Amino acid sequence: MSKLRAFCMPKWGIEMSEGTIAEWMVQEGQSVAKGDLICLIETDKITNEVEAERPGVIARIIEPARDEAIPVGALLAVIGDEAAANDEVDAFVSGFAPAQGGISSNAKKGGPAKPAAASPKPAMKIETNRPISPKALALAEEEGVDLALVEGSGRGGRITFQDVHQHIRPAVQPVLRGPAKLPAEDLAIFASPLARRLAAIHGVDLATLVGTGPRGRISKNDVLSVAEPKSGGRRDTNFSPVANEPIVVPFDKVRKVVARRLTSAKQDIPHFYLRISVAVDELLALRKTANLVLGVKATLNDYLVMASAKALAQHPDINVQLHGEELHKFPHADVAVAVASPKGLVTPIVRQADRMRIEQIAAATSQMIDKAKQGRLSYEDMDGGTFTVSNLGMFGIEEFAAIINPPQGAILAVGKASRVPVELDDGDLAFETQINLTLSVDHRAIDGAAGAQFLSTMKELIEAPEQLFG
Amino acid sequence: MQLSREELLQAYRRMKVIREFEERLHVEIATGQIAGFTHLYCGQEAVAVGVCEHLDASDKIVSTHRGHGHCLAKGCDVDGMMKEIYGSREGLCNGKGGSMHIADVDKGMLGANGIVGAGAPIAVGAALSLKLDGQGKVAITFSGDGACNQGTTFEAMNLAVVTKAPCIFVFENNHYSEHTGFEYAVGTNKDIASRAEAFGMKVWRADGTDFFAVYETMRDVLEYVRDGNGPAAVEFDTERFFGHFEGDPQNYRGKGELERIRAERDCLTNFRQKVADAKLLEGTVLDAIDEEVLDQIDAAVDAARAAERPQAEDVLTNVYVTY
Amino acid sequence: MTKMMYRDAVRSTIFEEMQRNENVVVLGEDVVGGMGTAGGPEAIGGIWSTSTGFYDAFGPDRVIDTPISESAIVGAAGGLALAGKRPVAELMFADFIGVSLDQIWNQIAKFRYMFGGKTTCPAVIRMAYGAGFNAAAQHSQSVHHILTSMPGLKVVMPTTPADVRGLLREALRGDDPVMFLEHKMLYGVEGEVPDGDYTIPFGHAKLTRAGEDVTLVATGLMVSRCEAAADALAEEGIGCDVLDLRTTSPLDEEAILDSVEVTGRLVVVDEAPQRCSLATDIAALASEKAFASLRAPIQMVTAPHSPIPFALELEQAYLPSADKVQAAVRKVLDWR
Repeated sequence: MSKLRAFCMPKWGIEMSEGTIAEWMVQEGQSVAKGDLICLIETDKITNEVEAERPGVIARIIEPARDEAIPVGALLAVIGDEAAANDEVDAFVSGFAPAQGGISSNAKKGGPAKPAAASPKPAMKIETNRPISPKALALAEEEGVDLALVEGSGRGGRITFQDVHQHIRPAVQPVLRGPAKLPAEDLAIFASPLARRLAAIHGVDLATLVGTGPRGRISKNDVLSVAEPKSGGRRDTNFSPVANEPIVVPFDKVRKVVARRLTSAKQDIPHFYLRISVAVDELLALRKTANLVLGVKATLNDYLVMASAKALAQHPDINVQLHGEELHKFPHADVAVAVASPKGLVTPIVRQADRMRIEQIAAATSQMIDKAKQGRLSYEDMDGGTFTVSNLGMFGIEEFAAIINPPQGAILAVGKASRVPVELDDGDLAFETQINLTLSVDHRAIDGAAGAQFLSTMKELIEAPEQLFG
Repeated sequence: MQLSREELLQAYRRMKVIREFEERLHVEIATGQIAGFTHLYCGQEAVAVGVCEHLDASDKIVSTHRGHGHCLAKGCDVDGMMKEIYGSREGLCNGKGGSMHIADVDKGMLGANGIVGAGAPIAVGAALSLKLDGQGKVAITFSGDGACNQGTTFEAMNLAVVTKAPCIFVFENNHYSEHTGFEYAVGTNKDIASRAEAFGMKVWRADGTDFFAVYETMRDVLEYVRDGNGPAAVEFDTERFFGHFEGDPQNYRGKGELERIRAERDCLTNFRQKVADAKLLEGTVLDAIDEEVLDQIDAAVDAARAAERPQAEDVLTNVYVTY
Repeated sequence: MTKMMYRDAVRSTIFEEMQRNENVVVLGEDVVGGMGTAGGPEAIGGIWSTSTGFYDAFGPDRVIDTPISESAIVGAAGGLALAGKRPVAELMFADFIGVSLDQIWNQIAKFRYMFGGKTTCPAVIRMAYGAGFNAAAQHSQSVHHILTSMPGLKVVMPTTPADVRGLLREALRGDDPVMFLEHKMLYGVEGEVPDGDYTIPFGHAKLTRAGEDVTLVATGLMVSRCEAAADALAEEGIGCDVLDLRTTSPLDEEAILDSVEVTGRLVVVDEAPQRCSLATDIAALASEKAFASLRAPIQMVTAPHSPIPFALELEQAYLPSADKVQAAVRKVLDWR
């Protein structure tokens, strides 16, 4: 028995509801390796190659290439681990039910991950025979949730408000504090578990304490009152300073260079700063889908590098280097990415990023970051560059202004993504995810309007990110 | 002797089935084939069969933790019981009950019971129901010399007397309540029946290792109770060939005690002797039954080992009728 | 330190207390074992071997082998206590509280209160509880939640031999009625026991694993399942506090709340079915008094709402396992 898998119309981006098969690159019965091209699919926005996700045999092609739109999730072909008998495939095809995720006509009216942004979506009507609480149903309809994907935690699988609410919330990455040292049990001392741990941390001898907790037990507060004297009577107002000698660290070569260049840049270049907020909900959703479909692990920053590069290609006035009294305008964008390395700030370059596909940018940046972290970046990796992207969003920085990296004409500083309330057309409030971009510009080379137009293009590209794939 | 040849053969077969069922379980448990706590009825077969041969499916019995014999005598399916004790989904109780909780209500078997002394009040209730039905049916509770010391048993006896319930208290005195001797634990004149007598019941006493004594006594008891005279009690003096539970080291037994009771007080040997003396049945016929029974038990064990195992989702079935 | 089995910890502690205080008496079914038989007293010595040697050492007036009469056993313990003795009654199986509940609930739990504080009832009722032996629906139950719900009773559930000794001494020296619940799967477990005459106060939970991400609360056999889950999770950098409550009445509220205030996440593991259980009790405590600290709904890993099934597979499916505990931990960590 061959294990059969459905190959379905993929969903790229929030709004894709259908696609057209432009061409099949495989035939029935053909073996494919992972990464082999299977077909070309066109949408109203892009044409994309679809690769095999795993090795197998094309058991049957259901939808031939033709100029007709096929809904997302529809069965396009059946792929087996190995050659499959006809009746096996027949049974699979007849038993196939498309995942309801986002393919029903209802779903078009509001995709599950669509953030409430510019305009409110009309609530969809959900018909379901599953048990569900009224509030849960209302929330699902309002948010356009596909209930097939929601597990009911109530009695008999009833879907509760909490179930739907959890489903629409983004996944979390809990910050773990991990295991702690278990204090030894001392039967002679009556202290609560936390009191024991705190005593161990603060070096308090429990035997010296009198317990004020239940049944005379030493509790947390008994330890803390000794460890961190706070209460009035015990508080000592005299402060005795201790030695505070610095540790002297001479600059190494890299730091000397960085220091010299940044000093001269900050002193010599007449900086001006342009700031804009852009909504990234669409980009985040697209990234998720593209990462799934393309199998790449592109970061948000990779997309920002890509958007910068595309915008630079459209605005050659920004894509410049300043050499004395000469302006060098480049046809392609060599985008430097600021990376913190053990030896300090380094700026390796993604060359001709405007010509790259996202997975190429992702590969180039991750390779550069690896090299930077190992201190193996070569001169060639860092020489030149027409523009720099510096991102401190991962540290929670909301916005900042960067120093231009000469001879480049501008640098983009990227802050963290924040959920921000925005007013909708009808006056309602909704939340969207925004990042702040701050462009530092060398006024000798670039005028204010040119910088502003460049940023405006970036905003358009980021907020309608399908264009990045155009 | 008022038993026909067929009735005699059936009685013998039933006792033999119980004996071999239990002997085989003893081996299966010792070799780790069966989980849980199991209490074997071996040695007491004449009581269960001598009582139940008088009954049909609409008479009710309530049993004890040592219940396999009562179940088999009342007509429970051998395969179904073996599968239950093996914990199979195909067992009489779908693997939910196990040895201590076998029941087959359709056969009038209202359950073995893990709680010593819990059965007597239940039997009184069943008897009151049968009294309402007015068909002359009876309910019988089996209790040991352990259960006779529980307050529930006393309360049940008094309740049966005051309500004139058609209930029979069958006390199987096998001389041990768990590991404690009857001599120590039962205070009334060293017998149980006199307690029932004190509650106002008519009582009988007989040798529980003699099938014919049990059978004849029960004929009288049943006639009395079916006639609407209210409850009655009977005490059978019998023997337990194994420990309280399987795994019991039985250090409380006297030296050679087990060998002696097996030699002198075995109800099957006793039965064979009696039918041979009276020239009622031929040894060869009984030998043939022995062979058939051994095959039957072998087949039951094979079937139980091959039977379907329960699934995790079965845990929540039959907690309620509706919920 | 001495290595000792749980059952020996029970036996040796009662034995020592009987030597120490002549008012301590023992009663129950087969606590002597073999009374009235050819084998004679001590032929068996109790089915859990927790009273072996008592009869020979202290005689029939202080080691009272009883008929199978649970109601009378518990009631007599109450009477012994009211009349100035310190009885240790054994119920053999915790399920048999069903037979003797009136004496536990309406009598010994309430004497002191009903009598205006003019008396004490220092009876210790021991019982073996818990599943794991395929002993089916009437010999496997965990009854702590039933007893914990009764004002006037203290409920003790030791997990280790060391705790058995400290808690049983505390029970035998205290003046309140104590339900002493021994898990039958733990009788054969060996552990280090401190030397010396120590006691462990009631209402004093023990932290057996420390971590700052999730709080696991359990008793008895479930503690080891929590520890197994915590150890596996620690390898992924997930830290769990594992709290062994040791007594459910009194309850160490402080230890639970202290831990939840640090972790913000609580998983309660209980061998009994969930409804009106220790698990719901602790969940209610945390949601009432640590609501502000909670970052995820409290998870309860408990037995399902059913009697305990017989078959091996069913009993395994019935009981909370380390895997189920791990899944609950992940669920609270992944809460959105």
